[in-house]
Amino acid sequence: MTSATQPVSADDPFEDGVSRRLRIAFVGKGGAGKSSIAGTLARLLAAGGEPVVCLDSDPLPGLATSLGIATSDAGIPDEAVEEAPEGERARYRLATGLTSEAAIRRYADTGPDGVRFLQFGKTRGHVAPLMRSQFAFRHIVADIDDTPWHVIGDLPAGTRQPFFGWAGFAHLVLVVAEPAMSSMLSAKRLARLGEGENAPLVAAIANKTRRDDDADLVSQATGLPVWASAPVDPAVREAEHLGVPIIDHAPDSPTVQALRSLLERLHNEERSSP
Amino acid sequence: MKIAVVGKGGVGKTTTASVLARGLSQRGCDVVALDCDTNANLGLSLGVGLETTERLVALRQALDEGEEDHAPSWDEMLARFGADAPDGVRLTTVNRIENMDPGCP
Repeated sequence: MTSATQPVSADDPFEDGVSRRLRIAFVGKGGAGKSSIAGTLARLLAAGGEPVVCLDSDPLPGLATSLGIATSDAGIPDEAVEEAPEGERARYRLATGLTSEAAIRRYADTGPDGVRFLQFGKTRGHVAPLMRSQFAFRHIVADIDDTPWHVIGDLPAGTRQPFFGWAGFAHLVLVVAEPAMSSMLSAKRLARLGEGENAPLVAAIANKTRRDDDADLVSQATGLPVWASAPVDPAVREAEHLGVPIIDHAPDSPTVQALRSLLERLHNEERSSP
Repeated sequence: MKIAVVGKGGVGKTTTASVLARGLSQRGCDVVALDCDTNANLGLSLGVGLETTERLVALRQALDEGEEDHAPSWDEMLARFGADAPDGVRLTTVNRIENMDPGCP
């Protein structure tokens, strides 16, 4: 385990530094398929040898399953933060000497293909033991641009977290939407994340489509370009029923194929952007 | 009787709540349906349509932004911030943001 202050070792894969990394946040209505898609995309990226950290700020379980990580509710330990001095806006700050990169290496679980998994922990009952963990999470994420990881974030369902800055790390927000009225209405609301200065790029993923024109329907109803479209996929349902990653259960399923194409597109966008 | 419907995203909370509300109303109960989701969709399930669903959200946001005054009573809240749904259900959108630092999920 790397100490917070210890220099990065000579054989470190990131030592040379990396110019551009993906910074993606997945948002959308409940049940649209955010976690399934985020986890599968992260695994595809990691399987290609890329360094990937997944951010899970959902107090309910989900992303760990699609990644294939068993421990799904361990938060960041209390030691990661210390009380901020009187007068500072936030109550806690990262422990002295702890950088975002060191915190990820120390506290993020490691999953299949070397994918890393950082979460602020899961809610268990009425007590709220997560406050320090949530502060640690937010501080780590705030400085994540200084780290060499590709970042894939999975936000909780709905509009609250996205509009309160929890997707602030993202250069690209992908709104997952089913071709259903309420899912598309939610996506239309979330499309406003792309408004204003320094706003991220926002695009949609049409998920669980049944008809050829469903992707167009999602695009029209949300006002967003659709960057990927995945059909209703029995393999996804099976994997979720079994609680195993889709990419392991059905690597050639239409959903995984759609995400391979998306990844291709993301790499191309990355290359073509300044 | 006061019923809260909760659960993970996508399991059918809104659908369940709307069918309960309309079913109870059909059986003669006076029913108020409260949409407590910050991403309010209950109107669509109850059948008031997209426009009314969005109007209630806009009203609620106007309140948050100080452009509307709070209703001093329960009745007035339902009158000013509510809409009539089929089967006599009265719908209102009552989400509120609490404990947002560092961010109540």
